[in-house]
Amino acid sequence: MNSGGRFFMVNIPWMFLLPSIFGAILAGFSCSTMGNFVVRMNLSSIGYCMSHAAFAGAAFGLLITLDPMFTAVLFAIITALVLGPLAEKARLESNVVIGFMFSFMIALAFVFLYAKPGEVATGKALSILWGSLFSVDFNDVILLSVLSFILLIFITVFYKELLAVMFNRKMAESAGINTRIFYFAVLFFTGFAVALSLKIVGGLLVFALIINPTSTSYQFFYDFKKIMIFSPIFGILSCLIGFYFSWFYDFPIGASIVIVSALFFAVAIMISPKRRKGNKNKEKIS
Amino acid sequence: MLEYQNIIDLRGISTIYEGEKIPVINNIDLKVKSGEFISLIGPNGAGKTTLLETINGLLDYQKGTGFVFGKKINKNKTWIRKHVGYVIQNFELDPLAPFLCKDIVMSGRTGKIGLFRFPTKKDWKIVWRSMSMVGMIDFAKRPIGKLSGGEFQKIILARSLAQQPRLLLLDEPLSNLDLSSKKQIETLLNRVHESHGITIVMVSHDLTNVPANCKRVLVLDKGQIIMDDSKDKILRSETIDRIFKNNEFRG
Repeated sequence: MNSGGRFFMVNIPWMFLLPSIFGAILAGFSCSTMGNFVVRMNLSSIGYCMSHAAFAGAAFGLLITLDPMFTAVLFAIITALVLGPLAEKARLESNVVIGFMFSFMIALAFVFLYAKPGEVATGKALSILWGSLFSVDFNDVILLSVLSFILLIFITVFYKELLAVMFNRKMAESAGINTRIFYFAVLFFTGFAVALSLKIVGGLLVFALIINPTSTSYQFFYDFKKIMIFSPIFGILSCLIGFYFSWFYDFPIGASIVIVSALFFAVAIMISPKRRKGNKNKEKIS
Repeated sequence: MLEYQNIIDLRGISTIYEGEKIPVINNIDLKVKSGEFISLIGPNGAGKTTLLETINGLLDYQKGTGFVFGKKINKNKTWIRKHVGYVIQNFELDPLAPFLCKDIVMSGRTGKIGLFRFPTKKDWKIVWRSMSMVGMIDFAKRPIGKLSGGEFQKIILARSLAQQPRLLLLDEPLSNLDLSSKKQIETLLNRVHESHGITIVMVSHDLTNVPANCKRVLVLDKGQIIMDDSKDKILRSETIDRIFKNNEFRG
C-alpha cells in the first residue's frame, strides 16, 4: 500500500482525488450529524453494534459478490430492527449488547472474508476493514450526497420534535408526539450513515466518527442549535485533515481521521468553558 | 366545546404492566369535575404514577373504560396528551445538557403545533407568557442543566403550561425541593388553578404540603382508592396513620 500511495501521488491528477475528498466531507457530515442524536438519545451501544454489523455486511457482500455497500446497509438496518425494540423497552442492558454483538459481528465478518480467498478480494477486504482513499467512487459520492440531503431536510422539518424527544422521551410522548417514529428514524439514518461511510473510514473505526465530533462540540455549547452546526464542522475537518495526512504521509485513512477527531475531543475537554465554569461556582442544587 | 360532565371519568379501570399478572391499579372509579384541585397521596408503590399515566394514555388499561374530556382514553391517546399537561417525576438531568430553557418550554407545545409545522410568533408568545407566569422569563436563554432544583421544576411547569392545558397532572412536583422552593411552587400552583381555572391532579408524598387550593384528597393504597374525601377530614383521619405507619411520609 505504501509504495502505491507514493506512486500515485506523483502521477495521478487531482481530478481522481475528487470523489475521495467529497466522500470524506459527506461522510464527516452525515456521521457527525447523526452523532448528535445518537449521543443524546443514549443510542451509542446500538449504533456501535450497527456499525459492526455494517462491517460484517460489507464482508458478506464481498463473499457473494454483491455491492458491499448494499449489504452493509442491509445488515445495519436489520440490527436496528432487532435491537431497537429490545433496547427501547430496556430489556437489554447496553453492556451485554455490546459485548455480544460486537464480537459476534466481527467474527462473522472474519468468517466471510476468510471464505473468499484471492488477492482482489483481500485488497477490497482490507479496504472495508481499515478504510481506503481510493475505494470511493462516483456512485458512493452520489449516495452519500443523497443521504446528507435527506438528513438536512429531516432535521429541518422535524427539529422541534427531535429536540423534545432528545430532552426526555416520556415528556415528549406526554406532549402528544409519537416518539417511536423518531427513535427508529434516528436508528435507520445512523445505519445508513455508518454503512455508506464504511469504505472511507473502515468498519472497525467508523463509529468514532459518530461519537467524537459530537462529543467535541458538546464541550463548547449549551444551545443544541449550535451543537447541530458545529459537530458536522468538526466531523468534516477531522475527515479532511485525516485525508491530508493519509495522502501526504501515507497514514491509513480511517486511523488518521479517527486520531484527528480524537485529538479535537481531547483539546476540547482541556479548554472546555463548560467544565471550567462548572468547577468554579458549584451549582446550588437543592 | 365538548360535552362532558366530568373532566376525568374512570369506570372500573385496571392497568397491568406488560409481562406482569397483578394489576398496579385495580378497579379504579374516579370522577373529577372541571376546575377541581385534587391531591393523590399514598405510600410508595401504591400506583399513583400509574394512575396518572393511565389518565393521559401513556399506559394502556386492560379493564374498564375511561374518559378524559368526554373522550375515550384508549382511542384518543394522542389528542388527550396534547391537551393534558403532564409533569413527570423528578428525573436526573445531565448538567451539561445542551438545551436552553426557552426551547424546553417550547417543546411542551410541540405536539399541539403538529408535524410539518414550525412554531409561529403566537407560539412563542405563549411560551414567553408561561415563562413569566412561573417567574422564569429571565432564564429563557439559560442552559437547563445549570438550574437549581426549584428553578428546574418551574421551567418544567412552564413547559406544561405552554401546552395551554385544561387539565394538569403533576407527579410529585414538590419532592426533592428545599422548603422555600416548595412554598414557591405551591403558591404557583394555587395561582395557576385560580387564574386559569385549570383542573389539577397532583401526586404527593408529603402530607404536610397539600396546597391551600386543594380541597379533595384521594388516598391510594395497593392499587385502589381507599379514601376520597375533603382534605381536612382525610388529614385528620386515623386511616392515614395506619397506612403511613412506619413510613417516612407521615405528616
